[in-house]
Amino acid sequence: MSDSKDLLRAPFELAYNYKRSNGPIMSKFFEALGEQKILGTKSSTGKVFSPAAEFDPETHESLKEIVEVGPGGAVESFSWIETPQHHHLIKEPFAFALIKLDGADTCMLHMVANCNEADLSIGSRVTANWSEVQEQRITDIKFFTLEK
Amino acid sequence: MIQAGVIGVGQTKYDAKRRDVSMAGLVREAIDNAMLSANLDWDAVDAVILGKAPDMFEGVIMPELYLADAIGAVGKPVLRVHTAGSVGGSTAVIAASHVCSGQFKTVLTVTFEKQSESNATWALSPRYPYSPHINAGAGGYFAPFIREYIRRYEAPEHIGWKVAAKDRQNALKNPLAHLHIPGIDEKMVSDTPMLWEPLRYLESCPSSDGACAMVITAKDQVGSRNVAWIKGMAVRSEGTLSAGRDEVNPQAGIDCAKDIYNQAGITNPFNEIDCAEIYVPFSWYEPMWLENLGFCDLGEGWKLTDKDATAIDGEIPFNMSGGVLSSNPIGASGMIRFGEAALQVMGLAEDHQVEDAKVAMGHAYGGAAQFFAMWIVSSSLD
Repeated sequence: MSDSKDLLRAPFELAYNYKRSNGPIMSKFFEALGEQKILGTKSSTGKVFSPAAEFDPETHESLKEIVEVGPGGAVESFSWIETPQHHHLIKEPFAFALIKLDGADTCMLHMVANCNEADLSIGSRVTANWSEVQEQRITDIKFFTLEK
Repeated sequence: MIQAGVIGVGQTKYDAKRRDVSMAGLVREAIDNAMLSANLDWDAVDAVILGKAPDMFEGVIMPELYLADAIGAVGKPVLRVHTAGSVGGSTAVIAASHVCSGQFKTVLTVTFEKQSESNATWALSPRYPYSPHINAGAGGYFAPFIREYIRRYEAPEHIGWKVAAKDRQNALKNPLAHLHIPGIDEKMVSDTPMLWEPLRYLESCPSSDGACAMVITAKDQVGSRNVAWIKGMAVRSEGTLSAGRDEVNPQAGIDCAKDIYNQAGITNPFNEIDCAEIYVPFSWYEPMWLENLGFCDLGEGWKLTDKDATAIDGEIPFNMSGGVLSSNPIGASGMIRFGEAALQVMGLAEDHQVEDAKVAMGHAYGGAAQFFAMWIVSSSLD
């Protein structure tokens, strides 16, 4: 083998600009977040997906019926972040959690903050806290906190 | 080998910007139309085969993950295919091969591109270190091949304009086509700006959003359905920049065509094929492919075009739907050719139907004119 230090290397950066169209269902979901509401979609079997889904993975149907869910829910599972890194949105210890919102049958991945690890367990009741500025993004929900 | 046929073709409306739907919604629109035309329930689908052009086009890496729900792949085998611009054709061949293998009774296949959300030209031309930036999309890449074709066979420049006008006139008979240009003629084409000499603006394909889906099933599942029987199908490849390669008349295209003609028992494609949907993204590829696919001798392709042999009422109609020159959702463009060929032999092509079409050819090419996919479909199994 030749010494790799002698071989040429060069940086290569690739960047493109793209656009995204959300379509009718996901557009309503994100618009509603801007109004501090959480929506889901309901299938013909009565199953409610939140975050909203465009298609039911089981029945394969296109989901059209919109329902409001939350803002409260239960923690289904979580991962505690004791030492947040620079890329985390919360600088204090927090949890990434799967939250089943009231009225929904599926879980939303979000964050639970303003609590201690010992206070959080599977089944803990949490509620959405809203960001100061609404941008029609999932981060319009700032995080969830334990219900008082 | 199990005999297979197309029992459903579904297409979206093609347009420059389908802002009304997400990528998933776009793909699903084609699938719903295919399932409806096949009169099929989801339970009958044994596998789903998805194709599209490079992930970098839309920047959705591994779109089969995000699209699994939309394409009904949950709980079923899924395979994603990619062979550049030919992908729509090779996806159809792979889907049909699943059925012909005997391992799957009925396969749903779908291809798409959402060019309005993509960056196709520059995604094809990254600025790599150590090499000059090619700084050209497909048109710039193919223009020298076309120049060489014109030089070899002393073809007059109006041939390109003629193809461009003819395909857009056909598109006026296809409500799904992206480009509907009233009054389109050779003069209008020749008046448009030169883009990649010798190719003018209207000699080039548009950028389209769209999807195309097909349902392919085994003979014993067809029942009383209208069916386009697959009589021959093949895929061939060659290198991008291999020394000695003839880019004007690629060997892989010649071999691929011979293979499907042999499978289908065709000895004279000009006489025995009633119509063809051939991948012509730039006008001059019509005469080039007429020759490459054996419809005529070398140097005779432009003469066939010149005497209207490829018109919808000609001896060998090419691109009755308007072709890639009228709708180009890249990943789907090959499957549209395959699907439109099927529609012709099923008698479902409506206003752009070729009268009494019994045998039709679908064709796609991609990369640096190096990947080829083709099939022959027929209204009868014999």
